[in-house]
This record gives sequence, C-alpha cells and structure tokens, in this order.
Amino acid sequence: MKRLRWGLIKRQVAVQVQVITLNLYSLGLFVIQPAVFTAVGMLLSHAAGNAMPDLVYNVIGGGIMGMWSGLVFTSTFDIVDDRRTGVLEFIVGSPTSLATVEAIRTLTNVIAGLLSLSVAFIAALAIFGYSLKNVNFWGAGVSLLLLLFAMWCIGVFLANFLAWSRMSGTFVDYLEMPVAFLCGFMYPIRILPVWLQILSGILPIRWALQAMDESLLGNRDLAFLITHWAVSIGISLIFLGITSWLQVKVHDNIRVSGELSSI
Amino acid sequence: MNPIAIEASSLNKIFKTKMGLWKTKTKSTVAVEDVSLTIERGELFGLLGPNGAGKTTTVKMLTTLLLPTNGTARILGMDVVKHTAEVRKHIGFAFSGSRGLYNRLTAIQNLKYFAELYSLDPEFTRKRIPDLLELVGLSTCGNDKVETYSSGMTQRMHLARALLHDPEVLFLDEPTVGIDPVGSRELRQTIKDLISFGKTILLTTHYMAEAEELCQRIAIINKGRIVALDSPDALKRRISGDSVIEATIQAVQAQVLLDQLRVVDSRTVVELKNSIKPEKICIRTPEPARVLELLSPYLNPQYIQELEVRNQTLEDVYVTIIKGDKE
Repeated sequence: MKRLRWGLIKRQVAVQVQVITLNLYSLGLFVIQPAVFTAVGMLLSHAAGNAMPDLVYNVIGGGIMGMWSGLVFTSTFDIVDDRRTGVLEFIVGSPTSLATVEAIRTLTNVIAGLLSLSVAFIAALAIFGYSLKNVNFWGAGVSLLLLLFAMWCIGVFLANFLAWSRMSGTFVDYLEMPVAFLCGFMYPIRILPVWLQILSGILPIRWALQAMDESLLGNRDLAFLITHWAVSIGISLIFLGITSWLQVKVHDNIRVSGELSSI
Repeated sequence: MNPIAIEASSLNKIFKTKMGLWKTKTKSTVAVEDVSLTIERGELFGLLGPNGAGKTTTVKMLTTLLLPTNGTARILGMDVVKHTAEVRKHIGFAFSGSRGLYNRLTAIQNLKYFAELYSLDPEFTRKRIPDLLELVGLSTCGNDKVETYSSGMTQRMHLARALLHDPEVLFLDEPTVGIDPVGSRELRQTIKDLISFGKTILLTTHYMAEAEELCQRIAIINKGRIVALDSPDALKRRISGDSVIEATIQAVQAQVLLDQLRVVDSRTVVELKNSIKPEKICIRTPEPARVLELLSPYLNPQYIQELEVRNQTLEDVYVTIIKGDKE
C-alpha cells in the first residue's frame, strides 16, 4: 500500500484554498446561492400554507444545494482553469498522478462545501428558532460523514471525467440540477414518480442524505439508518472503482488527443 | 552508464479530429513524421523549425505529455511510453509564455507545490528553492505573486521550476520568446552554466543566433520531418562556402542591376528581399569578387546606397533549407 503523502495533501489543500476557495466567486457559491435556495424553499412552503419553513427540506436543503453546486462548479473550474493556464500539463508531466491531485482537490472542495451547511444550520437555529431537542445526533453525524464521502466519490469521478476532454465541462454542467432534484435536496424523495425514485438510487448522496434528514427529524431506527449507510457506502465504492478505471483511460486519452492544454 | 540521454526512433504523431455535428468524420493531421535523433549526455541540442513544424509536438512526446502514434523514444534508456513515471522523475521541461504557473501564488509557493508533486524531501526543497531563485535571478522577488512578474521573470521562473528536482535531462521550448535582449543574454548564460553542470538540454528556438551560440548540434524540422541535422558549422558548410552580398538599392534601378547580375554563373542566386523602397537584393555566390566587379560601376547613391559582404550565417542555412523543402 502506498504511504499517505501528507506533505502533498497539506500543500495541495493550501493551493486549492488560495487559488479556488478564497475568492468572491466561490464564497458567493457557498454562501449566497444556498441562501437563495433556502429563501425560495421558504416562500414555496409558505404558499403551501405552512406557518414555519421545513427544517430539513427548506433550510438544510439549501445548504446541501450549496455544497453540491460548489462541488460541481469548483471541480469544473479546477480543470478548466488548469487547462487554460497550462498548469495541467505540468501536473500530468510530474511523477504524481493527476488522480491523486484530483482526489485532494475534491476533498478540499467538499470540506469547503461544509460552509454552506454550517450557514444553513446557523440560520435554522438562530433565525428560524428550531430546537435540536429531538435530533438523533450520532445518526446525523455518521450520515453527514457518509454524505461527505459520497460527494467526494462523485466529485473525483467528475474531476477525472472533466479532464477527459475540453467538452466535458459542458456535460457536467448539465448534471448539476438533475442530480439535486433526484437526490431530494429540497423535498422528500417519496413525492417523485417511482421510476425517478429508482433512478435516484444509483446516487450514493441520496442514501446518505435520506439518513441524515431522518436523523435530524429524530428517527432512531437503526435498521433504517444502517441500510441507508450501507447502500451509500456500496455505491460510493462503485463510483470509486469506475473512477480508478476512468483515470487510466483519461491519462492515455489526453495524451493521444493532445487536450492537456487549451491552446 | 548509457552515454545516450535522448533517443527517438521513427517517431510519428498523427492528431485525429472528429468533424461535423455528429462527429462522424475524422480529419487526420500529421504533426510529426519519422523523426529520429540521438542526443548524448551533456549535449546541448537545438531543434529549429518554422511555426507548426512539429518542434513542440516532438518535445511533448519526449516529455511523456503526448503518446506517439508510432515509433519509440527513450530517455536515459527508459521508454517514454512503458516507463512514463520513471522518465518523469529524470526530466524537467519549460515551455514558452506565461502559462504553467499559479499566478495567484508567489514564486516560492509555486515551487513548494511542484516540489511536492515531485515528492522532494522537505529539507532538500528548503535549500533548493533559494539556490534556484538565485540561479535564475529572482531571489529578491520570491515572495511576490507570479501575476506581478514580467514575461522575462515568468520565463526564468519556468526554468527554476524545471530544475527543481535537479533533473538530468532538460527540455526548453523557446525559452527566450518575449524576453528583452538583456534578459535573453542572461538566460542564455544560465543555459550555458547548466551544460557545464553536466545537464543534457534539448532546446527549441526560432532565434538562429541563439542556436548558433548555444547548440553543439542542430536539427532543422519542417512539416514534421527532420530535414537537416548537424553541427552549426557543418550545416553552414553544407550549402557550400558561398558568400552573401547584400545591397540596398534605388528601387527604380533594380532591373538594371538584376540584368547585370544575370551574367554571373548559375551557382549564384539573386533574390529581391523586399518590396519597400529602397529595395534590398541578396546575392549568394561562390564568386564574390566577380559580383563585386560587376557591381562596381554602380557603387554610387543613384544605384547602390549600401553594400555588405559577409559569410553565410545559420539563418541563411535555415532559410535555404526550409525554402528548398517547400519547393
């Protein structure tokens, strides 16, 4: 087994934070966008006759939306910008694999996405006055970790796919909203038609999120939670397996097509 | 120890582009065709050619950034396709222009990042970075963001990055493009120093004087093929010991002079260099005395304003070879 390269992890995270995370675009992505989604969710909830916005689907849902959008946009931006600036050639030309670099970058992007979720939680407690009395904390905690893992697995898959060709970014943009709708960020999955519920089953985020939502609502049914966690881990690992195959193909393909550089 | 640093054998690169709305048609572009070369350890080898000749594509195949369509290439005896990761540890490369660095980071932050990509020991990196910044003349601005650098400084920063892991083989793709004359001279001196440290360098350039000053051997590449490969002196000898006579003339009298020169033997080539007034004629001849004798009655401002006789330069050789290849 290869040893963990802590030096590379630390340096890559520092570069990612300086180059991608700490700019107005990303902060807007992680903070302003989820606030807009939360506001729209609250308006819809109010129009449906609810006195209070729904904690899970309106407030926290906005935060999850911010995490997901942030992940898609920053992953796209990473590769597109590296191609544009020519850095991609120097990363690929080094002894470190692009997949390793992408894995660390995506981890940073996922962790940066916690900013959205934190803002949503603070808003839920401080602005909307929700109580944490009934919350299943350990269930929500484990589910959140698995949600981050699921997002990371999908993120590294997308990052490698984005490196494939200059056109990949366009296809990834198409995925942002459909994945959000399929995973039930802002409404329960059960309101979707059955065939869409089945389709959403291939996304590990959906299973971890459902477990987290239920835990926040006080569900302590261990069998339910463990099933959802296990399915989420299983599908996440399948995505990782596909990614490890994909990264070899990408490494070859970009060196055949000459698409390492944007010019 | 293998005395050969870089070896390419029948290297080919064909780019295929999908065309049309449904990408059903494929257009093939031959970028490099049958390139073979051998570069010894410690040699500074030049790759010259016009834009689009295949220089950068050749360099990118040798640096593992592109896969050859056919042919083989070895660096220090290691195949660039089969032993990609190992080859990457032993080579450094720098491309022209301002691309390839994180502009929002400082020079030191950039170098520390690339040092991690090469798994360098932190202690080695700590000592190496100031040494490299000193070598490329950036020691006073290592903490400045790269976005504040001039093109010359960025180019030198590229060289520092390429040297970070102390590679044995260096690929420098047009390293002095966009740099002022003083900066170019300093960079050329740095390249000479690197050769004295035992590095092997493959340099691509458009500047003939640079190639002539630096390179022990030169390959001229055109339309993807190597059309000449030898030392600068041997290349100059190759197009005979011709002398070059350049005369600045009154445009209206050009025909009179061209008629006079027609009587010289068939080995003399007369060329009208440009159409702006006054015009220049360039005469390549094995018989400079005869040409000068023919021109002597016209050595007055009405006909000839300036006259220069010189030996062939590498640029003359280059132009002759590239033009000959076109024809």
